[in-house]
Amino acid sequence: MSKMKKMILVLGIVVSLVACTKEDNSGTNTVVETITVKDLPADTIIGITPGAPPTGGFPYGSGRYTFYSLETNKIVPASDSASNKWDLAFKGTTIATNSGNSGPGGAGAFVFVGLFNDLKTIPADSSFRVDNAPSAFAIATGSNRGWYVYDGINQLVTPIPGRVLVVRTASGKYAKVEILNYYKGGSTPATTASDAIKLTTQRYYTFRYSFQPNGTKTF
Amino acid sequence: MKKRILFLVVSTCFISTAFTQQQDTLSGNGSVTVFTATKTERLLSNIAVPVQIISQKTIQQAGSLRLSDILSEQTGLFMTNGFGTGVSMQGLNPDYTLILIDGEPLIGRTSGVLDLKRITVGNIKQIEIVRGPSSSLYGSEAMAGVINIITDKSRKNTLGISTRYGTYNTADLGLKGSVRTNKINYQGFGDFYITDGFSIRPNSRERSVAPIERFTQQHNLGYRFNDRTNLSLNFRHNSETIKNNITVINNGNSINSIGVEKNKDLNATLQLSHKLNEHVKNTTRLYGTEFQSSQELISDNGVPYIDAFKQQFARIENQTDINVNKQLELNFGGGYIHETANSTRYDNSTSIKTNRIGYGYIQSEWKALNQLTVIGGARYDHNELFAAAFSPKLALQYKLNKNFSLKASIGRGFKAPDFRQLYLNFTNTAAGSYSVFGSVEAQKIINELNRIGQISSLEPAFYQLSNLQPEFSTGFNIGASFQNAEWHITTNIFRNNIENLIDSRLVAYKTGGAQIFSYLNVKNAFTQGIETDIKYRYNQHWSFSAGYQFLLTGDQAEINAINNGKVFTRDQNGFSRKMDRSEYVGLPNRSKHMANLKLQYDHQNFFANTRALYRSRWATTDTDGNGIFNTNDAFAKGYIQLNMAAGQNFTNGLSIQAGIDNLLNYTDVLNLPNLPGRTFYLSVSYNFLNKNPK
Repeated sequence: MSKMKKMILVLGIVVSLVACTKEDNSGTNTVVETITVKDLPADTIIGITPGAPPTGGFPYGSGRYTFYSLETNKIVPASDSASNKWDLAFKGTTIATNSGNSGPGGAGAFVFVGLFNDLKTIPADSSFRVDNAPSAFAIATGSNRGWYVYDGINQLVTPIPGRVLVVRTASGKYAKVEILNYYKGGSTPATTASDAIKLTTQRYYTFRYSFQPNGTKTF
Repeated sequence: MKKRILFLVVSTCFISTAFTQQQDTLSGNGSVTVFTATKTERLLSNIAVPVQIISQKTIQQAGSLRLSDILSEQTGLFMTNGFGTGVSMQGLNPDYTLILIDGEPLIGRTSGVLDLKRITVGNIKQIEIVRGPSSSLYGSEAMAGVINIITDKSRKNTLGISTRYGTYNTADLGLKGSVRTNKINYQGFGDFYITDGFSIRPNSRERSVAPIERFTQQHNLGYRFNDRTNLSLNFRHNSETIKNNITVINNGNSINSIGVEKNKDLNATLQLSHKLNEHVKNTTRLYGTEFQSSQELISDNGVPYIDAFKQQFARIENQTDINVNKQLELNFGGGYIHETANSTRYDNSTSIKTNRIGYGYIQSEWKALNQLTVIGGARYDHNELFAAAFSPKLALQYKLNKNFSLKASIGRGFKAPDFRQLYLNFTNTAAGSYSVFGSVEAQKIINELNRIGQISSLEPAFYQLSNLQPEFSTGFNIGASFQNAEWHITTNIFRNNIENLIDSRLVAYKTGGAQIFSYLNVKNAFTQGIETDIKYRYNQHWSFSAGYQFLLTGDQAEINAINNGKVFTRDQNGFSRKMDRSEYVGLPNRSKHMANLKLQYDHQNFFANTRALYRSRWATTDTDGNGIFNTNDAFAKGYIQLNMAAGQNFTNGLSIQAGIDNLLNYTDVLNLPNLPGRTFYLSVSYNFLNKNPK
C-alpha cells in the first residue's frame, strides 16, 4: 500500500462522521438518556505486512487511538489527547480510560457483569481501576478477560453479552457503556465470511451508553 | 523337551478366544456369539449389557471399505471431523471409545481421535459394539463403550480376490486366503487402497480429503497342540501416505507447499490358551503395538516443517475362566502394560516418555433364577503417572419369556490422561505464537519463563495446575428387547455422568501478549438419551430396519449458571438479555435426533438395499460470545444421506456389486469436509475355492 493511500485512509478515518442516535430511556423516570454510537472507527486496518506467517501477513492499522468524550458524545481530536476532554479511547480491542498513564484525567472503569438496564445505581463499594498501559488497562485487554471474546478459529471478535463498562469520566462523573458490536454496520460477519470482509469491517465499535451529568452514581 | 512342555504349561494359562470361538459362527440370529461384552464367548441373547453386532454380510452389502463407512450407518454413532475420522458414541467424544482389533487395543490417537479410516473392513467377520462404560474389563478409554473388530478366521481352505473402483479414482484391491489342517491354521489378508481425494471447496485447489495410499496386511497363524491347548500368532501392519499440495495466496503472492503425512501401525499378538479341565480355562496374551506418524511440510519460503510422533504399547495379560457350576461362572485376570511415546511436539524428540500400568480384574456371572442373570465385575488399574482407577460394573438381565427380556446395567469408566496432555510442548508460530504445554511441562516452563521475566501475567487457572487425574464416567443403561420370527426390537435408555473432564485453559500471558494454554481437570458433563432399533422381516425377500437416537447433553454447572441468571445472550437490537434455560443446547457437535432407515431386498443370490441416514442440526460455534452453546449460536444444518447398493453372486465364485453413496449429493464444506458429494463404485470379487455363495 502506498504512503499516499495510507494517508487518505487515515484522513478518512479522522474525518469520518460518527453517526449518533439518541433515544429516550423509556421505562425509568430518570432523565438520563441512552445514546447509541455507531461505527466508531478504532485504528481500522490499512494494510497487511508482506509475506506469510510467521514472518508476515499480519494486518495493521495506523496505530492511533480514537478519543471519545461521553460527556459531549463526540470524537475528540488526537491533538487533545493530553487533556481532560476525552473519557475513553479506542484502538483495536483495547479501550483506554483517561487515567493513570493513559491520560491526565481522573477517569477510571471496571467491568460489571449483568444487564445494562439492571445497573441503576453503581454500588457504593465499587472500586474503579485506572490504566497502567501497556501492561494493564482499567478495562482488561485480552480475550475473555474484559469486554470481548476472540474466536481464533474463525478470527472474529464478539463482545461478551452481559458486560457493562462502568466508567468514571475524566471530570469525575459517571457513565455506563455496553459494547454491542465490533464490526462496521453493527453486525458481525458470518463465520464463513472471507478474510477480506472480516479484516475490512472490523474495528468499528457500536456501543450504547448513559451518562449522568449531575455527578451522582444513579442512572 | 521337558523344559518346553513346562514353558507351555506356564505360559498357557489363557483364554483363547480366536480359535475356539469359531465353533459358534453365524448361522442365524439366535446363535450369534459375542466376546466383547464379558471378555468371554457368550450368546448374544444372553448378554446383559447393550450390544450390537454388525455382520460381515451387512458390511459387504453396504459396500464399506473403511471402518468409519459402516459405523456411520449405525444408530446413535456419528463420525467426527478433525484429526481424522473419529466415532462419537452415546454423545461422548471419540476419545472415550476404545477401539479393539481381536480384543487388543489400537493406539495412535491424534488429539484424542483414533482415525477409523486407518482400518479396512475387508477381513472382518463381525464388529461388536458395546455401549456404556466397560472399564471394568478393559481399563482406560472404555468410557462411552467399546468397538471390537473380530477378523475373519475361516475354517475352510479359501482364496479370494476382490477389486473395486469408484469416483475420485478410489480403488481397492484385497486378497484373502486361509489354509487349515488338523494342527495348523493360517489366514492371510492384504489390502491396497488408493484415492485421489476430493475438493468440495469452491475455487480452491486445496483438497478436503488429500490423495491417500493405504496398505494393510494381516497374518494369523494358529497351532492346535491338542483339544485343550491352542497357540496363535497374529500380525498386522498398516501404512498410509497422504500427500497434499497446498497453494496459499497471500497479498497476490502464491506460496506453494507440499505436505506429506505418513502413518504406520504395527500389531503383534501371541496367545496361548489351555483348558485345564472341563471347568477351567486359562489364556495368556502377549501384545505389542507401535504407531508412527510423521508430517512434513515444505514450502517456497521458510524452513521445512517436520512433526513426528511415535508410540509403543506392550502388554501381557492372563485370564482364567472357571465354570463353577451351571449357575456360576467366574473370570479373573491381570496384566501389565508398558507404554512409551516420543514426539517432536514434546520438550525433546529423543526424550521417551513412559507409563507403566498394572491391573487386575474379576467378573462373576450368576444365573440367580432361570430368568435372571446377574453379572458383577470390577477392575483396578494402578498407574505410574497418575492416580489409580477403580472401575466396578453391575448388570442384570431378566427374561420375561422367550421373546421379551429386560436389561439394566451400571458401570464406571475412566480415561487416563494421555501423553499429549502431560508432555506436549508446542508453540504455533504461524498463528499468534500461542503455546500449549502439557500439565507436567506447563508448571516447569512457566516458572522458568517467569524467573527470566518473560511472563506478563498468570491467569487464575495457572494456580489450579496440578497432577492431572483420570477422567471418570458413570453410565446407566436400562433396556428392553423383543424378538420373534418377524420382529426384533431393542430399546435402551442411557445416562452418562462424566466428571473430571480434561480441557485446555489459558494459564498465562507472555510478555508481548502470546498466550499459554495447558490442560486441567475442569469440567463435568452429562449425556442422556434413548436408542431404539427395529428390524422387521416382511417375507423371505423384503426386510427393513429403522433406528433412532434421541440425545441430550450438557454441563450441570452451565445449567446452574443459566438458572441463576448469570448467562446472557443478545436480542435483535444487539442488547444483552438473560439467556433462558430452553435456549441451552449443551455440548457442541451433537445432534438431538439421529435416525436411519434401511430397506433390503434379497432374491436367491441377488440383493439390493437402500439406506437413509439422518442427523438433525448441531451447534458448531459460539457466536454470541457467552461461551455456552445455545440456540443463538451457529449451527450446521441437519441432513439426509442416501446410500444404495445392489449385487449378484454367481455360482462360479464370481460376485459383482455396484453402489451409489450420497445419492442426494448433500455436501457441507464447512461442517462435513470429509463427506464427498455423490459417488459411484463397482466391485468385482472372485473366490477360487468354495465357490458356492453363502
